[in-house]
Amino acid sequence: MFNYWRLQYKAAPYLYIAPFFILFAVFMLYPFVYSIYLSFVEWNGGGEKIFIGLDNYTRLFSDKVFWQSLWNGVIIFFLYVPLMLVMSLFLAILLNKEWMKAKGIFRTAFFTPNIMAVVAISFVFVILLNTQDGFFNAILLNLGLIKEPIGWLDTPFWARVSVALMVLYRWVGYNMILILAGLQNIPKELYDAAKVDGANSFQSLWYITLPLLKKIMAFCTILSTVGTYSLFTEPFILTGGGPLNSTITPVLLIYRESFQNLNFGYASSIAVMFFVLMMIFTLLQLSVFKEKE
Amino acid sequence: MIETKVERKLTEVKSPVNIKMKHSIKVWTTLTLFSLIAIVMMFPLFWMFSSSLKERSQIFLNPPMWIPETLQWANFTELFTNRFFDKVLLNSFFVSGVYTIGGVFFCALAGFAFAKYNFKFKNILFLIVLSSMMIPHEATMIPLFEVYRSLGLIDNLWGVILPGLANAFGIFFMRQYCSSIPQDLLESARIDGCSEFRLFYKVILPNLKPALGTLGIIFFVNQWNNFLWPMIILRSPENQTIAVAVRALQSGVRTPYELIMAGSVISILPLLFIIFFFQKWLIAGLLEGSIKG
Repeated sequence: MFNYWRLQYKAAPYLYIAPFFILFAVFMLYPFVYSIYLSFVEWNGGGEKIFIGLDNYTRLFSDKVFWQSLWNGVIIFFLYVPLMLVMSLFLAILLNKEWMKAKGIFRTAFFTPNIMAVVAISFVFVILLNTQDGFFNAILLNLGLIKEPIGWLDTPFWARVSVALMVLYRWVGYNMILILAGLQNIPKELYDAAKVDGANSFQSLWYITLPLLKKIMAFCTILSTVGTYSLFTEPFILTGGGPLNSTITPVLLIYRESFQNLNFGYASSIAVMFFVLMMIFTLLQLSVFKEKE
Repeated sequence: MIETKVERKLTEVKSPVNIKMKHSIKVWTTLTLFSLIAIVMMFPLFWMFSSSLKERSQIFLNPPMWIPETLQWANFTELFTNRFFDKVLLNSFFVSGVYTIGGVFFCALAGFAFAKYNFKFKNILFLIVLSSMMIPHEATMIPLFEVYRSLGLIDNLWGVILPGLANAFGIFFMRQYCSSIPQDLLESARIDGCSEFRLFYKVILPNLKPALGTLGIIFFVNQWNNFLWPMIILRSPENQTIAVAVRALQSGVRTPYELIMAGSVISILPLLFIIFFFQKWLIAGLLEGSIKG
């Protein structure tokens, strides 16, 4: 009897963590290791796997589309992240004011797009941004702001703007909530002390609020970087990565090369590079997080 | 310093009406601005609802049609009678529901084990859990597809559920929460002759309720919006989840945008429900997820 109790006490933690490790091994670790192997072979998904050494990687590094996908990430990032952070900060600061009214309603309204189905939101944007009589062009034309309809999804520049616009729309509220949480952690006494010392509200914003939000802003920036490079659904539905690969992202490229072009070996080398990229971002994120503790 | 204080006091005394007016102008401009932004944020959702009740020819019009004169409920009946949306909706609820319950349960088990037991290799095992966060799902898709072929998980809803159940963030989250449970509670249950699993089930789980709710809501929303992997593996129309099924409507020569919008509306209704009734949990979870995860 004593032994049974001891045994089940000893065994319990291992049993409790077993589901994770079994699932992790089958659905993550094994495929991950296997994809490193696949990055050294040529394989169309059905036939034989031919070992070709580093050929996939040499091809990858001279592949214009691959570099384009990384470059697109940079452009899209700069098209929306600075604007989004400023907007989120602005909204959060005002929502945090004591005199602000209907805080709950506004918070909900700004945050709702973030949890709405990406596929659904993407399709609405497809309709709104349609060149022929989409809502955006119709309104802009009627107001006389433009003479010719804008090819929102048909020209490289505007396609990137459109993807950036949609990502901004989905994530501004989320970042606002993160910043709001940061604001609420700033002790009120700091502001009271500043007021007593004669600081105006702009000064207390500049010298108290912003410095104390530095970490959280850095954090939001890194999250947005990871998010931008992992984009798939938005460009997939809005533009399919086009026109002229102007909105292709690494994940979209992996999908295209593997499940559409059946270059599974080559696609695996992109996947491995994508992993390396994400790991760098995650390590950055962890270092910011550690400093925060 | 004292002087400025006195000065401030003086101005306040001098013109209380002026200050009050300034204040109310500030409040009302902010409220107006915020209302405008909220309208902009809600507009795509409004347009989705409006377009879902239009005829195909009414979607792209200049000037735009805000609300259709005759409501085309037929768009919805078409989805349910000819496009398997009854089945699709059920699939989505099944996948998200099972994933939520299973995921939360496994995370609670493992989180509890890591928080409240001492066992061999505990630290290294926990490190493995954490480092699993570094493997992005997109980097494992190609070999995972191979694994699925051999396990018969292609075109199978379990194939959507299983990989996500190994969730490092959830375990981390639960571990944090479990460590706040007092040790005395466990010891007294054990002295009463409670077996380890009974202890978890009867003592721990009820104490974890808020954490279970928070994590559960996040899991549900994420799985409901999951798109890329389900799109890859779910092939037949009657086996698809709603995100995949909505996107699958986009085929043929003319895209049936009115049906896509109707499908989109169906896909966001449960999410709107969640926003209205579980928003607090959702936001709590998002904060935990981003800041501590």
